Amino acid sequence: MKKNKTMIVVFLAPAVIMFCIIFLYPIFRTIAMSFFKIEGVTDAVSKWQFSGLANYIKLFNTELFRISMWNIFRIWLFGGILVMGLALLFAAILTSGIRFKSAFRAIIYMPNVVSAVALATMWLQYVFSPKFGLFKSIGELLHWKWLAKFQWLDPSHLFIALLIAYCFGMVGYHMLIFASGIERIGTDYYEAATLDGASRIQQFRYITLPLLKGVTKTNITMWSISSAGFFLWSQLFSMVVSNTQTITPVVYMYQNIFGAGNSMTERNAGIGAAVGVLLSVCVVLIFVVCDKVFKDDDIEF
Amino acid sequence: MKKKMVSTLLCAAMVAATLAGCGSSGDSAPAADSSTEAPAADAATDSSTETPAAEATGDGLVYWSMWDAAEPQAQALSQSIEAFTAETGIAVDVQFKGRTGIREGLQPALDAGTNIDLFDEDIDRVNTTWGSYLLDLEELAKANDYEATANAGLMAACREVGGGTLKSIPYQPNVFAYFYNMDIFEEAGVTKVPETWDEFLDTCQKIKDAGYTPITNDNAYIASLFGYHMSRLIGEPATEEVVKNGDWDNEAVLKTAQAYEELASKGYFSETIESNQWPAGQNTELAMGTAAMYLNGSWLPNEVKDIAGEDFKWGCFSYPAVEGGTDGTEASNYGAQVFAINAKSTKAEQAFQLITYLTKGEADVLLSEMSVGIPADTSNTEWPALLTNVKPVMDSMQTRYPWAAGAEANADMTPIIIENFTKLCGGSLDAQGFVDALKAAGN
Repeated sequence: MKKNKTMIVVFLAPAVIMFCIIFLYPIFRTIAMSFFKIEGVTDAVSKWQFSGLANYIKLFNTELFRISMWNIFRIWLFGGILVMGLALLFAAILTSGIRFKSAFRAIIYMPNVVSAVALATMWLQYVFSPKFGLFKSIGELLHWKWLAKFQWLDPSHLFIALLIAYCFGMVGYHMLIFASGIERIGTDYYEAATLDGASRIQQFRYITLPLLKGVTKTNITMWSISSAGFFLWSQLFSMVVSNTQTITPVVYMYQNIFGAGNSMTERNAGIGAAVGVLLSVCVVLIFVVCDKVFKDDDIEF
Repeated sequence: MKKKMVSTLLCAAMVAATLAGCGSSGDSAPAADSSTEAPAADAATDSSTETPAAEATGDGLVYWSMWDAAEPQAQALSQSIEAFTAETGIAVDVQFKGRTGIREGLQPALDAGTNIDLFDEDIDRVNTTWGSYLLDLEELAKANDYEATANAGLMAACREVGGGTLKSIPYQPNVFAYFYNMDIFEEAGVTKVPETWDEFLDTCQKIKDAGYTPITNDNAYIASLFGYHMSRLIGEPATEEVVKNGDWDNEAVLKTAQAYEELASKGYFSETIESNQWPAGQNTELAMGTAAMYLNGSWLPNEVKDIAGEDFKWGCFSYPAVEGGTDGTEASNYGAQVFAINAKSTKAEQAFQLITYLTKGEADVLLSEMSVGIPADTSNTEWPALLTNVKPVMDSMQTRYPWAAGAEANADMTPIIIENFTKLCGGSLDAQGFVDALKAAGN
């Protein structure tokens, strides 16, 4: 084929220019900002004060930022195990040919349709309420005193409450991805396995799981991205002022850029940028590890 | 060859069109400005303003509001603005941005040159965070004799936070104090509001004996209990220093913690104080009549009025003085929402006219009635019935504390103070444990 360099340049130019403006420029600007002290996020560059690594050093020395990183790690790991486990289980059940499949699927997916604000209010002000909460009523009904008296929302347990509420809403989404992955696997593999005398559990272990490798990788990637940007639920679970149990790096970033609570606190968009850079590094690390663990396309079907 | 040329030209035209398109959307704000009011945009660089060019352009004022459209404040303001337009012929484009909307969006919009004539928010945020964008209002206020019927204390507060000059006009005044259920006080035999800490303890005991929870609060405001007590002991500036510098060895910290340990050990706090996530405490305990007192702002009766009902009798008293302390009941966080005019506005006079209209006379009464708020105009002497008992407290104020009396001055410590102070109030941490926890977090 005859190559026409002008044409290639002309056709690529819009995409390349847009990519540079919309993706590359903000990335480089954010990295640059993280080395400066900047009061307002839209301040002109002439107002920036160079501070070297001071923002990063301050972050690592701030207990609250360390707490926020620990929180997000806990959400990613424990929440991930819980959500992936339940999503896979439900997906396997739903694709096993049970009756009312689409009704169950719709019910499990439902929380994704409801606004997060409504869901969080329901959990916070009703389900976990120490006065008339759902869990308290269940505890009383079953005469489980520990459940009836359990203080879900106090500073020692708020994280568990947040994790349960958040995961409840996320299972349906990841279940759909798993279910579509399972449905892609041809039925003849299962028929052959049945003829060979494999049980349902063995079929799941030796056929479904290995063939779901790619889908699992997708799910973990999606989960990591949504965990890294964990913000809304944290805000909803600690209205007005943030809380040590629910604060995440993005909330910390927000406080540094726009101020915290009702008080006039010091603002530094440079610290916000540094948080962004650190989070990106974490996400890239997770991708690299994921790529190593789940090697693509070694099985074709 | 010809075909090739044509297609190259076409492609170039397409690219140029695309780029031109994104170019104008990239800095849409100034572009929009210049298309809608070219003279204004030109004059925008001249910040000495007050050029009455606006009338010539024929378009109205742009007001970015901190309220959400559904709030009573927004509804009252909308009604008054309609009346203002009918009266003066000045059109006003009101954009209800809400608290977060204005907090995140105002400064970037001003930096981008968006056409905004006036905006409002809390007195401290407007004057501190956005101070450099504000028009000095001294001359406009003088020319219009604005201060004849304005609250002198609040005007002074505006000048204080504005760096000695008037850059904002207060409305919807508020004061931070203990709000209480008068029926419970009466039933418990409390005849006089507590002014000292000993009287406060005595009041709590009587309420407890009568079978009610003396004090409740929520995570959102609980740091104020700590801040107010410390500030009573050593004054607000010193409290703020302790919080900002992490000087947790200051004996006032331990003294404050001990006072609250005592309250907790005597069972004066709600049993669920540790689990109270805003607005659980104010809604399910105070408004429902099981708890007697809640330290909060004068917006509280409005927030819970639908739950508390019309017959709920609101009492109010300033945080009690402590023995040997620096500050007394005359000190608290009092302030207001304030209006401010963009220094680059070309319609400053009309904007001031609107502000005057909204903060005085009938519009002020309407806002006060609809939002159960304090009127800004001193000639509007009638306060909403729910706030009758707030008036003496507001009138007694002399020293102005910032938010939470300095307890939330250090954003890196606020959640840690709240966590440990909540545990202290709930009895799961003692005074020394509280101090140790703060010290550990500061390292």
